[in-house]
Amino acid sequence: MASGNFLQQYEKGEVRTAWIFIAPLLLIVGVFVLLPVLGTFYTSLFLDVSYLPEQFVGLRNYIDLLSSPDFWQALRFTLAYTVAAVTLEAFFGVMFALLLNEAFPGRGLLRVVILIPWAIPTIVSARTWQLIYEYTYGVMNYLVVNSGLVSERINWMGTEFGAFWALVFADVWKTTPFVVLILLAGLQAIPEDIYQQAKVDGAGLFRRFYKITLPLLMPVLVISLIFRTIDSLRMFDLVYVLTGGGPGGSTRTLSYLGFEAFANDNFGMGSTVSVVTFIVAFAITLVYLRAGKFSEQLK
Amino acid sequence: MTREEIIKSCLIFATGLFLLAFTLGPFIWMIWISLADRADFLVTGQVEYSLSNYRQVLTAHSLHFLDYLSNSLWISTITAIIVTLFSSMAAYAVSRMRFPGRSLVPLLILAMSMFPQISIVGYLFEMFSKAGLINSHMALILPYIAWTIPIALWINMSYFTQIPLDLDKAALVDGAGRMKVLYKIIFPLALPGIFSSALLVFIACFNEFLFAIMLTIDYTAQTLPVGIALFQGLHGEIPWGNLMAASAIASVPLVILTLIFQRYIVAGLMGGAVKG
Repeated sequence: MASGNFLQQYEKGEVRTAWIFIAPLLLIVGVFVLLPVLGTFYTSLFLDVSYLPEQFVGLRNYIDLLSSPDFWQALRFTLAYTVAAVTLEAFFGVMFALLLNEAFPGRGLLRVVILIPWAIPTIVSARTWQLIYEYTYGVMNYLVVNSGLVSERINWMGTEFGAFWALVFADVWKTTPFVVLILLAGLQAIPEDIYQQAKVDGAGLFRRFYKITLPLLMPVLVISLIFRTIDSLRMFDLVYVLTGGGPGGSTRTLSYLGFEAFANDNFGMGSTVSVVTFIVAFAITLVYLRAGKFSEQLK
Repeated sequence: MTREEIIKSCLIFATGLFLLAFTLGPFIWMIWISLADRADFLVTGQVEYSLSNYRQVLTAHSLHFLDYLSNSLWISTITAIIVTLFSSMAAYAVSRMRFPGRSLVPLLILAMSMFPQISIVGYLFEMFSKAGLINSHMALILPYIAWTIPIALWINMSYFTQIPLDLDKAALVDGAGRMKVLYKIIFPLALPGIFSSALLVFIACFNEFLFAIMLTIDYTAQTLPVGIALFQGLHGEIPWGNLMAASAIASVPLVILTLIFQRYIVAGLMGGAVKG
């Protein structure tokens, strides 16, 4: 941004005004994000429960956490859930974006309709899915049984398998629109004459997709998947409403595990889970950013 | 038509139908149940339709639905206004003024938005408990501002940098202050960007759940998502009709907002995503 002319002096008045303009933002982010983050790390080094005086325990909380099966289960679930949801979102996202990039009657309407799941508050959609998954009279079991897909009703919330996919579907429904929007912008940036040339050269519909569209779309796809991954890794509200972490604790995300500790007044352990959640999310983001750079170089 | 064109038309038709069913299915089901007198009609086959669920949700005092709604509207609106003010000031400084650290500030703020909400909410709870702020509107407005201001800063920056710097210089020569330049020149020109960032902030706050459930206790401060998540029937069984009516009322303003202003929302999401 401020490139080159570093020899030029800054103007005192301008510098002061600039910092006055930025001060409110820095202050509020400092007090309500940075301070709590540091405070959370600090608290994670303490035995901090409501019924005992605070006591410094060093890394004990981390050792306890890493040796508890609950943590590994939550980590496994969070990762599996993220992979499943993000993969499906990429698949449906590409499919719908390709559709909405074509010229056909009704496209304007569909481009608006696709935003509806995104606009509905997550908790509201979670409650709606809860009703849809209801065992006896839910519409999901009505559909899968009456269409002959399965012979018996699926116990969506009572089995690990059912609960996992129930959560994934609800997430995919809610967040695919976001992926579609970003991909659509990416598609619109691909020049039309590349396709014309390919058509002249005799490349068919699917060949054009694999050879032109997909590679050119890759950078945008990676960006949208980074966003979705970061979001999925910290998922909380769907679990809270749909499964409450169950059955048998099998659908607790890392965020939910932290929330449970806080809700039980165990602030030391809650903070430890929170720090570890951040580290996991950060590590995965770094991996992704590397992959993103890599795909850009391929261009 | 060539064979390829036929295949293409079929694909478009099938995918279009699927998209409609996929996006609208759950939404339609929500509205349907909200109008029905019972949620189990797929099994029992008996059902009558009326607006009584909506009437109950809006009039039954013990459900506190209107309290949740007004809390949500107040908190989201105040947050959006303050974020717009602070983020446009900061975006102005970062994109149009010369000072040491101007390229560092946006990156620093972006890094702050990396932290998951769970890694700040526990400490916020302790902080607000000591300050006696738990269960107040302030307990949500303050963290919401901090949580949404990074994205607003980036969206506004991407719009501000498109405006020629000469406009500022001319106004400054004429004796206007920086604040006046921001409000008289930049604000009107960047209005679409500022509007889309404010809209995204409002929607994010209206939807937020983790802060809301940790930092509030009852209907005096709880927002709609918390109210709907904790919605209990009087007799144990979930009152689906009431719940879906409440859900519909909670979503319809957002859906309408999105449909009317979709251009701004898409622009805002793109601005945030491409920079981020």
